[in-house]
Amino acid sequence: MDPDAVAKAFVDHYYSTFDANRAGLGNLYQEGSMLTFEGQKIQGSQSIVAKLASLPFQQCKHNITTVDCQPSGAGGVLVFVSGTLQLAGEQHALKFSQMFHLMPTPQGSFYVLNDIFRLNYA
Amino acid sequence: MDPDAVAKAFVEHYYTTFDSNRGGLANLYQDGSMLTFEGQKIQGAQSIVAKLTSLPFQQCQHSITTVDCQPSGAGGMLVFVSGTLQLAGEQHALKFSQMFHLMPTQQGSFYVLNDIFRLNYT
Repeated sequence: MDPDAVAKAFVDHYYSTFDANRAGLGNLYQEGSMLTFEGQKIQGSQSIVAKLASLPFQQCKHNITTVDCQPSGAGGVLVFVSGTLQLAGEQHALKFSQMFHLMPTPQGSFYVLNDIFRLNYA
Repeated sequence: MDPDAVAKAFVEHYYTTFDSNRGGLANLYQDGSMLTFEGQKIQGAQSIVAKLTSLPFQQCQHSITTVDCQPSGAGGMLVFVSGTLQLAGEQHALKFSQMFHLMPTQQGSFYVLNDIFRLNYT
Protein backbone atom coordinates (compact mmCIF):
# COMPACT_ATOMS: atom_id res chain seq x y z
CA MET A 1 0.00 0.00 0.00
CA ASP A 2 1.43 3.35 -1.03
CA PRO A 3 0.11 5.97 1.43
CA ASP A 4 0.50 8.79 -1.11
CA ALA A 5 -1.57 6.97 -3.71
CA VAL A 6 -4.25 6.07 -1.15
CA ALA A 7 -4.38 9.68 0.09
CA LYS A 8 -4.63 11.16 -3.39
CA ALA A 9 -7.37 8.75 -4.48
CA PHE A 10 -9.30 9.30 -1.27
CA VAL A 11 -9.10 13.11 -1.44
CA ASP A 12 -10.27 13.16 -5.07
CA HIS A 13 -13.17 10.85 -4.27
CA TYR A 14 -14.17 12.52 -1.00
CA TYR A 15 -14.43 16.08 -2.27
CA SER A 16 -16.00 15.14 -5.62
CA THR A 17 -18.68 13.24 -3.75
CA PHE A 18 -19.11 16.06 -1.22
CA ASP A 19 -19.57 18.62 -4.00
CA ALA A 20 -21.91 16.47 -6.11
CA ASN A 21 -23.92 14.39 -3.63
CA ARG A 22 -23.22 14.82 0.09
CA ALA A 23 -25.43 11.88 1.06
CA GLY A 24 -23.14 9.65 -0.98
CA LEU A 25 -20.47 10.11 1.70
CA GLY A 26 -22.37 7.63 3.90
CA ASN A 27 -20.37 4.60 2.82
CA LEU A 28 -17.08 6.28 3.69
CA TYR A 29 -17.95 6.26 7.41
CA GLN A 30 -18.87 3.49 9.86
CA GLU A 31 -20.55 3.27 13.28
CA GLY A 32 -17.36 4.12 15.16
CA SER A 33 -16.41 7.03 12.92
CA MET A 34 -15.97 10.47 14.50
CA LEU A 35 -16.33 13.92 12.95
CA THR A 36 -15.45 17.17 14.67
CA PHE A 37 -16.87 19.95 12.51
CA GLU A 38 -15.89 23.47 13.63
CA GLY A 39 -15.67 22.16 17.19
CA GLN A 40 -18.94 20.17 17.15
CA LYS A 41 -18.42 16.44 17.86
CA ILE A 42 -20.52 13.90 15.95
CA GLN A 43 -20.28 10.11 15.95
CA GLY A 44 -21.44 7.41 13.58
CA SER A 45 -22.05 7.36 9.86
CA GLN A 46 -25.74 8.28 10.06
CA SER A 47 -25.25 11.32 12.29
CA ILE A 48 -22.20 12.44 10.33
CA VAL A 49 -24.00 12.37 7.00
CA ALA A 50 -27.02 14.07 8.57
CA LYS A 51 -24.73 16.89 9.74
CA LEU A 52 -23.01 17.30 6.38
CA ALA A 53 -26.27 17.15 4.42
CA SER A 54 -27.77 19.83 6.69
CA LEU A 55 -24.99 22.41 6.23
CA PRO A 56 -26.60 25.70 5.22
CA PHE A 57 -25.73 25.78 1.52
CA GLN A 58 -26.96 23.94 -1.54
CA GLN A 59 -23.92 23.99 -3.74
CA CYS A 60 -20.26 24.14 -2.98
CA LYS A 61 -16.90 23.49 -4.60
CA HIS A 62 -13.75 22.41 -2.81
CA ASN A 63 -10.38 23.35 -4.31
CA ILE A 64 -7.50 21.45 -2.75
CA THR A 65 -4.20 23.28 -2.21
CA THR A 66 -2.10 20.78 -0.22
CA VAL A 67 -2.37 17.08 0.67
CA ASP A 68 0.08 15.50 3.14
CA CYS A 69 -0.10 11.91 4.36
CA GLN A 70 1.68 9.51 6.69
CA PRO A 71 1.05 5.90 7.77
CA SER A 72 -0.56 5.92 11.24
CA GLY A 73 0.38 2.41 12.30
CA ALA A 74 -1.79 -0.75 12.07
CA GLY A 75 -2.48 -0.16 8.37
CA GLY A 76 -4.03 3.28 8.80
CA VAL A 77 -3.28 6.43 6.80
CA LEU A 78 -3.40 10.02 8.09
CA VAL A 79 -4.32 12.63 5.48
CA PHE A 80 -3.95 16.38 6.09
CA VAL A 81 -5.63 18.67 3.57
CA SER A 82 -5.80 22.41 3.06
CA GLY A 83 -7.80 24.26 0.45
CA THR A 84 -10.66 26.61 -0.29
CA LEU A 85 -14.41 26.14 -0.26
CA GLN A 86 -16.54 28.22 -2.63
CA LEU A 87 -20.20 28.45 -1.74
CA ALA A 88 -22.63 29.25 -4.54
CA GLY A 89 -23.61 32.93 -4.40
CA GLU A 90 -20.79 33.96 -2.05
CA GLN A 91 -18.22 36.42 -3.33
CA HIS A 92 -15.20 35.08 -1.45
CA ALA A 93 -14.10 31.49 -0.97
CA LEU A 94 -13.55 30.17 2.56
CA LYS A 95 -10.22 28.64 3.53
CA PHE A 96 -10.20 25.32 5.38
CA SER A 97 -7.96 22.62 6.83
CA GLN A 98 -9.13 19.05 7.38
CA MET A 99 -7.56 15.83 8.61
CA PHE A 100 -8.74 12.27 7.98
CA HIS A 101 -7.61 9.02 9.59
CA LEU A 102 -8.33 6.23 7.11
CA MET A 103 -8.52 2.60 8.19
CA PRO A 104 -8.54 -0.42 5.86
CA THR A 105 -11.72 -2.44 5.31
CA PRO A 106 -11.70 -6.23 4.81
CA GLN A 107 -12.66 -5.62 1.19
CA GLY A 108 -9.36 -3.84 0.50
CA SER A 109 -10.77 -0.31 0.61
CA PHE A 110 -10.57 2.43 3.29
CA TYR A 111 -13.10 4.12 5.53
CA VAL A 112 -12.85 7.31 7.60
CA LEU A 113 -12.39 6.58 11.31
CA ASN A 114 -11.48 10.17 12.28
CA ASP A 115 -12.40 13.42 10.52
CA ILE A 116 -11.66 16.92 11.83
CA PHE A 117 -12.63 20.06 9.86
CA ARG A 118 -11.76 23.68 10.61
CA LEU A 119 -12.24 26.86 8.63
CA ASN A 120 -9.12 29.06 8.52
CA TYR A 121 -10.30 32.59 9.15
CA ALA A 122 -8.15 35.40 7.78
CA MET B 1 -7.66 8.94 30.14
CA ASP B 2 -9.60 12.03 29.13
CA PRO B 3 -8.60 12.80 25.53
CA ASP B 4 -9.36 16.50 25.82
CA ALA B 5 -7.19 16.85 28.94
CA VAL B 6 -4.33 14.94 27.33
CA ALA B 7 -4.55 17.05 24.18
CA LYS B 8 -4.60 20.31 26.11
CA ALA B 9 -1.62 19.32 28.25
CA PHE B 10 0.33 18.14 25.22
CA VAL B 11 -0.33 21.28 23.18
CA GLU B 12 0.75 23.56 26.02
CA HIS B 13 3.90 21.54 26.63
CA TYR B 14 4.80 21.21 22.97
CA TYR B 15 4.57 24.86 22.00
CA THR B 16 6.07 26.16 25.24
CA THR B 17 9.07 23.90 24.66
CA PHE B 18 9.25 24.85 20.98
CA ASP B 19 9.25 28.56 21.83
CA SER B 20 11.83 28.36 24.62
CA ASN B 21 14.12 25.42 23.80
CA ARG B 22 13.55 23.58 20.51
CA GLY B 23 16.22 20.98 21.36
CA GLY B 24 14.03 19.93 24.28
CA LEU B 25 11.45 18.52 21.85
CA ALA B 26 13.61 15.44 21.28
CA ASN B 27 12.06 13.35 24.03
CA LEU B 28 8.62 13.80 22.45
CA TYR B 29 9.66 11.81 19.37
CA GLN B 30 11.02 8.30 18.85
CA ASP B 31 12.87 6.46 16.06
CA GLY B 32 9.68 5.67 14.15
CA SER B 33 8.26 9.19 14.42
CA MET B 34 7.45 11.05 11.21
CA LEU B 35 7.31 14.79 10.56
CA THR B 36 6.08 16.39 7.34
CA PHE B 37 7.05 20.07 7.52
CA GLU B 38 5.69 22.20 4.67
CA GLY B 39 5.78 19.10 2.47
CA GLN B 40 9.25 17.90 3.49
CA LYS B 41 9.24 14.38 5.01
CA ILE B 42 11.56 13.64 7.93
CA GLN B 43 11.81 10.50 10.06
CA GLY B 44 13.21 9.77 13.52
CA ALA B 45 13.67 11.93 16.63
CA GLN B 46 17.23 13.00 15.76
CA SER B 47 16.45 14.16 12.23
CA ILE B 48 13.21 15.80 13.31
CA VAL B 49 14.89 17.85 16.04
CA ALA B 50 17.73 18.72 13.65
CA LYS B 51 15.13 20.08 11.23
CA LEU B 52 13.26 22.09 13.86
CA THR B 53 16.41 23.58 15.39
CA SER B 54 17.67 24.58 11.93
CA LEU B 55 14.58 26.64 11.03
CA PRO B 56 15.72 30.12 9.99
CA PHE B 57 14.69 32.10 13.05
CA GLN B 58 16.04 32.47 16.57
CA GLN B 59 12.93 33.36 18.47
CA CYS B 60 9.27 32.62 17.92
CA GLN B 61 5.96 32.61 19.77
CA HIS B 62 3.07 30.28 18.96
CA SER B 63 -0.44 31.47 19.82
CA ILE B 64 -3.02 28.69 19.70
CA THR B 65 -6.50 29.46 18.34
CA THR B 66 -8.18 26.02 18.17
CA VAL B 67 -7.43 22.51 19.49
CA ASP B 68 -9.55 19.52 18.43
CA CYS B 69 -8.87 15.92 19.42
CA GLN B 70 -10.23 12.42 18.86
CA PRO B 71 -9.10 8.95 19.94
CA SER B 72 -7.39 7.22 16.98
CA GLY B 73 -7.84 3.63 18.10
CA ALA B 74 -5.33 1.38 20.00
CA GLY B 75 -4.86 4.02 22.72
CA GLY B 76 -3.68 6.73 20.35
CA MET B 77 -4.91 10.30 20.07
CA LEU B 78 -5.21 12.72 17.20
CA VAL B 79 -4.75 16.42 17.94
CA PHE B 80 -5.53 19.12 15.34
CA VAL B 81 -4.27 22.60 16.09
CA SER B 82 -4.58 25.98 14.39
CA GLY B 83 -2.94 29.21 15.45
CA THR B 84 -0.42 31.89 14.63
CA LEU B 85 3.35 31.97 14.75
CA GLN B 86 5.09 35.27 15.46
CA LEU B 87 8.73 35.42 14.47
CA ALA B 88 10.94 37.96 16.24
CA GLY B 89 11.45 41.01 14.06
CA GLU B 90 8.62 40.21 11.64
CA GLN B 91 5.72 42.63 11.43
CA HIS B 92 2.96 40.08 10.71
CA ALA B 93 2.33 36.72 12.35
CA LEU B 94 2.11 33.59 10.18
CA LYS B 95 -0.97 31.37 10.37
CA PHE B 96 -0.50 27.61 10.69
CA SER B 97 -2.32 24.31 11.08
CA GLN B 98 -0.71 21.22 12.58
CA MET B 99 -1.80 17.68 13.41
CA PHE B 100 -0.21 15.29 15.88
CA HIS B 101 -0.85 11.56 16.39
CA LEU B 102 0.12 10.75 19.96
CA MET B 103 0.80 7.19 21.12
CA PRO B 104 1.10 6.04 24.74
CA THR B 105 4.53 5.16 26.18
CA GLN B 106 5.10 2.39 28.68
CA GLN B 107 5.76 5.01 31.35
CA GLY B 108 2.20 6.34 31.07
CA SER B 109 3.11 9.36 28.96
CA PHE B 110 2.68 10.06 25.21
CA TYR B 111 5.05 10.50 22.29
CA VAL B 112 4.49 11.93 18.81
CA LEU B 113 4.26 9.21 16.16
CA ASN B 114 2.95 11.49 13.38
CA ASP B 115 3.37 15.24 12.98
CA ILE B 116 2.25 17.30 9.97
CA PHE B 117 2.75 21.08 9.83
CA ARG B 118 1.45 23.55 7.22
CA LEU B 119 1.45 27.32 7.06
CA ASN B 120 -1.92 28.77 6.02
CA TYR B 121 -1.19 31.45 3.46
CA THR B 122 -3.82 34.16 2.99
